[in-house]
Amino acid sequence: MTTSVALRSNEAPAGTGRRTGGADGSPSAPARRARKGTDVRTRVEIAVLAGPAVIMFVGFVILPVALAAYYGFYKWQGYGAPVDFVGLQNYTVIFTDPDFRAVLWHNLFIVIGSLVVQGPIAIVLALLLNQRIRGRGLIRVLIFLPYVISEVIVGTGWSLMLQSSGALNDLLQSIGLGGLRNDWLSNPDIALWTLLGIISWKYIGFAVILFLAGLQSIPEELFEAAQLDGASYWQIQRRITLPLLGPTLRIWAFLSIIGSLQLFDLVYIIWGQYIASTAGTSTMATYMVGNGRLSGNYGYGNAVAVVIFLISLVVALVYQRFVLRRDTAGALTEKSDR
Amino acid sequence: MTRKIRATAAIALIGATALVAAGCSAGSDAAGGDSGDGKVSMTFWNNSTTGPGKAFWQDTVKAFEAKNPNVTIKIQAIQNEDLDGKLQTALNSNSAPDVFSQRGGGKMAAMVNAGQLMDISDSIGSGAKSGISDGSFKAFELNGKTWAMPTNVDPEGIWYSQDLFEEAGIEGTPTTMDELNADIQKLKDKGIQPVAVGAKDAWPAAHWYYNFALRACSSNVLNKTAQDLKFDNKCWKQAGEDTKAFFDTKPFNDGFLTTSAQQGAGSSAGLVANHKAAMELMGAWDPGVISSLTPDGKPLQDLGFFPFPEVSGGKGAPGSMMGAVGGLSCSAKAPKKACTDFLNFVTTKSVQENYYKAFNSIPANKDAQSVVTEPYLTTVLKAYNDAPFVSNYLDTLYGQNVGNALNTSVVNLLAGKGSVSDIVSTVNQAAAKG
Amino acid sequence: MTATASIVAPKRRQRDTGPVRRERNLGTYFIALLFIAVCIGPVAYIVLGGFRTNSQITASPAGLPNPWQIGNYVTVLTSGVFWQQLGNSVIAGVTTTLGVVVLGLMVSFVLARYRFRGSGALYSLFAAGLMFPITVAITPLYILVKDLGLTNNLAGVILPQIAFALPTTVIILVPFLRAIPDELEEAAAIDGASKLGFFFRMVVPLSLPGVVTVGILAFIGSWNSYLLPLFILNDASTYTLPLGVQAFASQYSVDTARVLAFTSLSMIPALVFFAIFQKRIVGGLTGAVKG
Repeated sequence: MTTSVALRSNEAPAGTGRRTGGADGSPSAPARRARKGTDVRTRVEIAVLAGPAVIMFVGFVILPVALAAYYGFYKWQGYGAPVDFVGLQNYTVIFTDPDFRAVLWHNLFIVIGSLVVQGPIAIVLALLLNQRIRGRGLIRVLIFLPYVISEVIVGTGWSLMLQSSGALNDLLQSIGLGGLRNDWLSNPDIALWTLLGIISWKYIGFAVILFLAGLQSIPEELFEAAQLDGASYWQIQRRITLPLLGPTLRIWAFLSIIGSLQLFDLVYIIWGQYIASTAGTSTMATYMVGNGRLSGNYGYGNAVAVVIFLISLVVALVYQRFVLRRDTAGALTEKSDR
Repeated sequence: MTRKIRATAAIALIGATALVAAGCSAGSDAAGGDSGDGKVSMTFWNNSTTGPGKAFWQDTVKAFEAKNPNVTIKIQAIQNEDLDGKLQTALNSNSAPDVFSQRGGGKMAAMVNAGQLMDISDSIGSGAKSGISDGSFKAFELNGKTWAMPTNVDPEGIWYSQDLFEEAGIEGTPTTMDELNADIQKLKDKGIQPVAVGAKDAWPAAHWYYNFALRACSSNVLNKTAQDLKFDNKCWKQAGEDTKAFFDTKPFNDGFLTTSAQQGAGSSAGLVANHKAAMELMGAWDPGVISSLTPDGKPLQDLGFFPFPEVSGGKGAPGSMMGAVGGLSCSAKAPKKACTDFLNFVTTKSVQENYYKAFNSIPANKDAQSVVTEPYLTTVLKAYNDAPFVSNYLDTLYGQNVGNALNTSVVNLLAGKGSVSDIVSTVNQAAAKG
Repeated sequence: MTATASIVAPKRRQRDTGPVRRERNLGTYFIALLFIAVCIGPVAYIVLGGFRTNSQITASPAGLPNPWQIGNYVTVLTSGVFWQQLGNSVIAGVTTTLGVVVLGLMVSFVLARYRFRGSGALYSLFAAGLMFPITVAITPLYILVKDLGLTNNLAGVILPQIAFALPTTVIILVPFLRAIPDELEEAAAIDGASKLGFFFRMVVPLSLPGVVTVGILAFIGSWNSYLLPLFILNDASTYTLPLGVQAFASQYSVDTARVLAFTSLSMIPALVFFAIFQKRIVGGLTGAVKG
């Protein structure tokens, strides 16, 4: 009995799930609590249910991480077994390569740019679309559309539109803004901005939908109370809506950051494997594929993969610890706080 | 058990079956082989994805299959820019095609060292031996053995539109760099884009550097670098400076950074084919590519050729040319008789003549070269035969890793993002990565 | 919560009456329309481009089809290539989704409703998997798949996709399953059902909304995936649609209109799927955000 009660109070609520039974201990100890005899059976159940997923995950996700770390210590062409152990040399080359520093900068630009461009616009749009207007459902579907289409299709379509003699320049010309025409894809000064624009186009609908969902979970009473107190529209947004939208905003920002760090498909499709670095749009992932597999340097490529993984991990851990700490418990940090 | 369980189980079973079916169907035609009853099947990868070239291979395979009824060959045509990468992957993962296009140089050396190629030294037929020059075979020799059968010779030079030159008031063709620069200026004065370059694919821009290096460096240096992959000789830097000086005259078409080499009317070959640019630096496959991109799909009537101009102050022997020998290799796992028979078949006189007709480039078999009538190709042949030294393209020569790095660093120079010394430091760095 | 919202919702924005309210709505409509135009514009360009000829596109890049040509679409639809790639994508998508749902549900159930040492660590393990997406893992993953002999094989694409979809699945399903009241489990136990019986009889049906969300995400992810098939599939007969689009675009780049037709046709399955399930997708995101 004591054991079961103690276990019960140890459960972190994990910020989710309404337990209508109450974690404060209900009088009857649940029949499922471990008796020695059923322990074996429980263990078998756990093994059978969780086993396949764990095996797949460890086999195809964790194992490659470990393998990447191993291969990264070798110079290796990809066939046979790796034999040329070079220790940390690959990593030294990575960090002294001006190309890699360039891609770090590009990724950083995309990360920050995505947050700064998509966030405010999506919030405003979500606020606007949160009203009861006709066709709301249809509007939501239409703005979510770019998110559903693959990056390959987005890249193929946009690269055709952004050619020097393509649709965008033609459109600008026909509405009298001919002076704005540009070499959107190959001008190194603006190619990165073009990339940011395409990414924003694809993912802003996702942000709007996410924020709409967050807005709809804010209780109506708060707005009414504020209105009764005489607050103006903007005051309400600033003091009530935005803070309460906080958790949603932070989750969206997290997903956006991680996505920006992994960017590959769009860049590869539009700029190809050779000129992404010239146009200034290469990313860590294109660097990894270009210098790794496409050049036959598998040892080096694996080392780059490890570096990208570590960077993503550090960013995620820092973000979880300092930003998401208030909102959710459990994902990556300890469950013990709270 | 409830309905839901049964349904779930059924779906899972179907899914598993689909998985197995996918596995069985997709994996079965990876590599050819003997199926035990004498029937042999092979896969053949080449980069002729369009036009008469594609048809040529289909006809040739058909003719071979007619002569050898127990052999079937499946052709897969892969876009040129994707071929090297896909080939390397396939070779490394034991799903290599049996017959494939071979470029030679360091790329071939990597395959030889990995034991991925078939040694065909003792399978070369007498027809091939007598018809093809030793020099061509040399391009595919390593460690004293031969690893590919030459099919065509592709020396490089500048292909130009005689009509556009005439329009700009240019007489004859330039033989020195200064003359070329003057001609480019004349073209610009007439509003004609002087030079098309497909910098999106990187290697077309890099070919300018290769040729400047050919002029600046002695043949010894070029070959030695293939061994040690060190670019310390100052001729490399000089080549870079010559290249930069040329780039600074802004001779290229608009948007060259996103112009591809061969894909479509917007490619550099397409620009020349449609008289939107006056010339481009290319190997002798260019006439064939251009003819598939002209408005009527026929060879360009006013196409001309002149060798890369001489550059003063260099150590390269005048008249040297960049050029590749194209060929076909058998993979180490291919069925030996069928594969080498096919290789020999491809080099017979009639097939080589058809090759010339389809690709408009020079066949390797000298007996077939008599059908070469186009004036520009005769110019190429003469220059090739007179050349004291022919080097394989540097990205092929130095292998995929260094080759890619070399190509991209030249594009960077072209785009104003890198300096001349960056070329040298980038290739040295690439050598460190692999 | 839903009940409250639906009762309260109609009272939103009640204070805006009359002309001010109509004005705000007009302004909202205008901005919404503008936004939609931006979102749909490029898609429309791709679809309409397939109805033009190349000379139309060269002459007037941003114009409308004039006259409308269906030749390009017909060519693509009658070529075997498109359907073969579509079939490959369907096989990969359906099998991945099945695998993700079945495996994900089972392991989420364990994580949500069993107490055992290491359950926290196991959960963190899956969550950490979010940090190592396929993009980053592709280099060693390719070597692993190659060593397993699964290159050129849809299984070499499906199995990793299932594994990589598990972290998101677990993160979505675990809270979902935790929210199932203990009383139900106790009731089932009292009725004599084992934990497994509880799983099959009650949890599976109850978790359907979450499962559908997870399944849809997995399907879309598999349908659109490019990098993994790029590395694993060499033989053109095994290509999935994204690979096919890129190969088609480079092979027929002279034929811009045809490329656009191919591209827009390969968009259609995703769009249809989305149109059918859009309520679920959006609703699922809502649940994930709130939960």
